[in-house]
Amino acid sequence: RAGGAAPESERVTKMSIMSYNGAAIIAMCGKECVAIASDLRFGINQQQTTAVDMKKIYKIHDHLYVGLSGLATDQATLAQRFKFRHNMYELRESRKMRPETFANLVSTVLYEKRFGPYYAEPIVAGLDATNGYKPFITGMDLIGAMAPTDNFVVCGNNEESLFGVCESMYKPDLEPEELFEVIAQCILAGVNRDCLSGWGGVVHVISKDKVITRTLKGRMD
Amino acid sequence: RSSTHIRAQGRVDAPQASSTMARRYDSHTTTFSPEGRLYQVEYAMEAISHAGAAVGVRTDHGVVLAAEKKILSKLLETGTSSEKMHKLDDHLGVAVAGINSDANILINSARLTAQRYLMTYQEPVPMEQLVQTLCDQKQGYTQYGGLRPFGVSFLFGGWDKNCGFQLYQSDPSGNYAGWMATAIGANATAAQAILKTEYKEGMTLLEAKQLATKVLKQTMDSTKLEAEKVEMSEVGWVNAETKENVEYRVLQTKELTALCDEANAEAEAKAAAGKK
Repeated sequence: RAGGAAPESERVTKMSIMSYNGAAIIAMCGKECVAIASDLRFGINQQQTTAVDMKKIYKIHDHLYVGLSGLATDQATLAQRFKFRHNMYELRESRKMRPETFANLVSTVLYEKRFGPYYAEPIVAGLDATNGYKPFITGMDLIGAMAPTDNFVVCGNNEESLFGVCESMYKPDLEPEELFEVIAQCILAGVNRDCLSGWGGVVHVISKDKVITRTLKGRMD
Repeated sequence: RSSTHIRAQGRVDAPQASSTMARRYDSHTTTFSPEGRLYQVEYAMEAISHAGAAVGVRTDHGVVLAAEKKILSKLLETGTSSEKMHKLDDHLGVAVAGINSDANILINSARLTAQRYLMTYQEPVPMEQLVQTLCDQKQGYTQYGGLRPFGVSFLFGGWDKNCGFQLYQSDPSGNYAGWMATAIGANATAAQAILKTEYKEGMTLLEAKQLATKVLKQTMDSTKLEAEKVEMSEVGWVNAETKENVEYRVLQTKELTALCDEANAEAEAKAAAGKK
């Protein structure tokens, strides 16, 4: 064929499966509390925004939450599997799982599919009731490599942006209300440069005796 | 020949079996006797009739399960696990009579069934489905494999959206039925006779607990009922007004003691009145 662009039918677009639906999740450690926040967008094939109330953070028990980014069907299925496993654990042990134990369970479940993985990246956030309600957070890649830390973890489409805002706004040992402010600003700012996440947000601040959940009003674009 | 062929010579307590005929047919669980009976299943039920009694009472406000503890040593570490009562899911509990190790296998299987249903349908498993699945498993051990049946009877107490509060009983044959009130284990027939006369429609949950305590007291060996010898659990509304959630709950010692004291007092009053 002589010169000129190839016809549309011959042009192939490559897209990461992790960007098909879109998500942004942050978790942060505070003083005797943890916070986990996510956006609420649900898009299909990147372009259409189909829902603005898409749940990405799931409660496992009063002091343990898990947030999942990535392909929506995988993140929802994984959340259901984790609930199953935790329910069985609670029935056998007559107690709830510690966050660290749960994180290891998540890691194992993901690695079991090492050569055909779930396209989801989880963040686990909780308080360890057996150790004075010490905060615990960790992020993971889609095959279960954990990265526990004592400051913050992020996952989603626009990780670089999220890292950036957290790096500049985070301070250690924040009280629950201050932590809420910081994480809310971080998630809203972090999703602004990403067309695949945003459309509002939700924040859970988990303390020893209560969990405060707030929905955020952000730019709906 | 099945590897589980067991010589049954010397059995004196075979239930109503003719002396020589039973022994030839009771070794293999998967064969009928000439009289059309499955002896291994019957022998399993015989094992259960020596186990601690369990009583169940159903009301429109909840289901009560009460049981007699057989292992009473002071050296026993009680902790959180229970001898007779087990939670299967948030809306379902079970009382056991029979061989506890057999029960543990089935209880684990029931828990997995309940969670698999919850995962697939995102709603709690309907009671009868769970009971049926478990009973199908028990039935398998009476028809294939040449393995002995499970020596356990269960009382299932729970709730689902379609049928409300329900009470089911199952036995080693894999048969099950729904009941308003029933009993399994030692002196079960005596307990059921008492329930038949004393059970009333429209009972409250407290009245059901009192009835269960009374029945246990009359079927247990001791004259005075003590809270340490009894276990009780209930499936009822978390909030009786809003009726939003049900939960399975094991009763605390304080509540048990109150119920036992009440039952003891009532029995004493009755005995004193009888003497007059």
